[in-house]
Amino acid sequence: MPEPKHILIVDDEPSIREILCGALEMSGYRVSQAESPAAAKRIVAEGLPDLIITDLQLEYSDGLELISEIKVQHPNVPTLLLTGVWFDEKAIEERILKRVSSYIVKTAPLKTVLAEIGRLLAT
Amino acid sequence: MSSPRPKVPSDRIFRRVLAFFLLVFAVLGLVVTMALRNLGRAQAASEWVNHTHAVRAEAADILSSLNAAEAALRTFLVTDDPRDQADYRVAFSDLAEHVDVAKALTRSAPDQYQQITQLEDLVAKRADLAREIIRVRQKGSPAELQSLLASDAGGVAVHEIARRVERFRAEQADLLNERDRISFLQAHTTRWTVLAGLVLDLLLLAGAAWLIRDDLRARQQAGDALREANEQLEARVQARTAELTAANQSLKAGALEDRWARQALEHQLRYNQLIIDSIAELAIVVTRMLNVSRINPAVERLTGWEAADMVDRPLGNFVELVAGPGAADPLARALKDGHDLQHQPATIADKSGRRHPLELSFFPLRDGNKVVGGVVTLRTRPPVV
Repeated sequence: MPEPKHILIVDDEPSIREILCGALEMSGYRVSQAESPAAAKRIVAEGLPDLIITDLQLEYSDGLELISEIKVQHPNVPTLLLTGVWFDEKAIEERILKRVSSYIVKTAPLKTVLAEIGRLLAT
Repeated sequence: MSSPRPKVPSDRIFRRVLAFFLLVFAVLGLVVTMALRNLGRAQAASEWVNHTHAVRAEAADILSSLNAAEAALRTFLVTDDPRDQADYRVAFSDLAEHVDVAKALTRSAPDQYQQITQLEDLVAKRADLAREIIRVRQKGSPAELQSLLASDAGGVAVHEIARRVERFRAEQADLLNERDRISFLQAHTTRWTVLAGLVLDLLLLAGAAWLIRDDLRARQQAGDALREANEQLEARVQARTAELTAANQSLKAGALEDRWARQALEHQLRYNQLIIDSIAELAIVVTRMLNVSRINPAVERLTGWEAADMVDRPLGNFVELVAGPGAADPLARALKDGHDLQHQPATIADKSGRRHPLELSFFPLRDGNKVVGGVVTLRTRPPVV
């Protein structure tokens, strides 16, 4: 039986982490949670996850900065920006997707989020 | 859907097998009983045969003792030797003893006993005659002796005794032959009884074996049917469990989806509220009737009014556009026409009644192609250069 894929969720809201963690574990993934960029970097140092999902608005930093810092050492790690901020389409194309593998707003259905996660892990 | 119930062998087979074994034991018991009875008969017959041979031997001994006594008597008559007299006496004594033994042996058989007693009488008479002859011989009376011997000329009495003894022995021999025939028939009957019982028991055991085999086959079939039913049941349980698990997973996923949607909506509302609350411009949301429905904190900070003071009150109670007298209300027209206003001079009254000059902008709120209200924003008017 293959080792389950490891996903790191970075979000300062416990309810978001709890719901997403439950859904991902039901789908067979191994999930780690971090409420802050510092905690996320500690988890990455212990073992690089197969996917990093991060919110944008975080305490002491933001998700894009966190991803930039992690990609210094791990440039190929897949990343997903999951945020409540609605970006302009052009901004997404020209700015956001140059820094993360994918972007989804939190108002998207959970199954859409899970499908996107599955797509990112399959590639 | 219910699976066919497997056929369970009934106790009827057990009862039948039990009946077969009871019959087997009954036949065995009958054979053993008959065999024991015939053994007893054979033993009794053997004793009878031995007894009959003993009687015949005693009868033969009577005859030989009689002949010996007669010989000893005649020898004594010729020799007058006391030793021959002793032999004669011993012979007659043996003769009496054999007669007594024969009587004892035939005491339980009245016919034979009667023949022996008759024989005893004849022997006694012969002994009396012999004693008389001896007495006359010892007396030395030849004429009398000759007369006595002449009366016994030819040994008629001895011949009679011998004839009776032989007849007695012949009858005993006939009885022995009859007993042999009966014993043979008994042995024959015993042999056939044992053989018939053995064959019957073998048949009964074969029947019981057939029933047991049939019962085992029925139990095997019932076991197979039960195992098949269990396998089907287990498969259905597994399928049902899988369905329930899938349904449960679906329910959990649905519940998570609902929680996710609520969380996202609440997060989005809170995020937007934070953005609105953080801007420095005054924002007032009005209905289609130009009544206030919402204000941001900047309005409260500037005017001292709280939301409860302004909501559901006409916007005109607080905000006035600076327009020429007699001019139509531009806000009402913009609301009606669905266009916006930009940088219109206006004033807002604070809680103390003081009016603050501001620059007003208006943006209609649309729900599809309908105008359902508007957003009025007010900012400090830039100083005139």
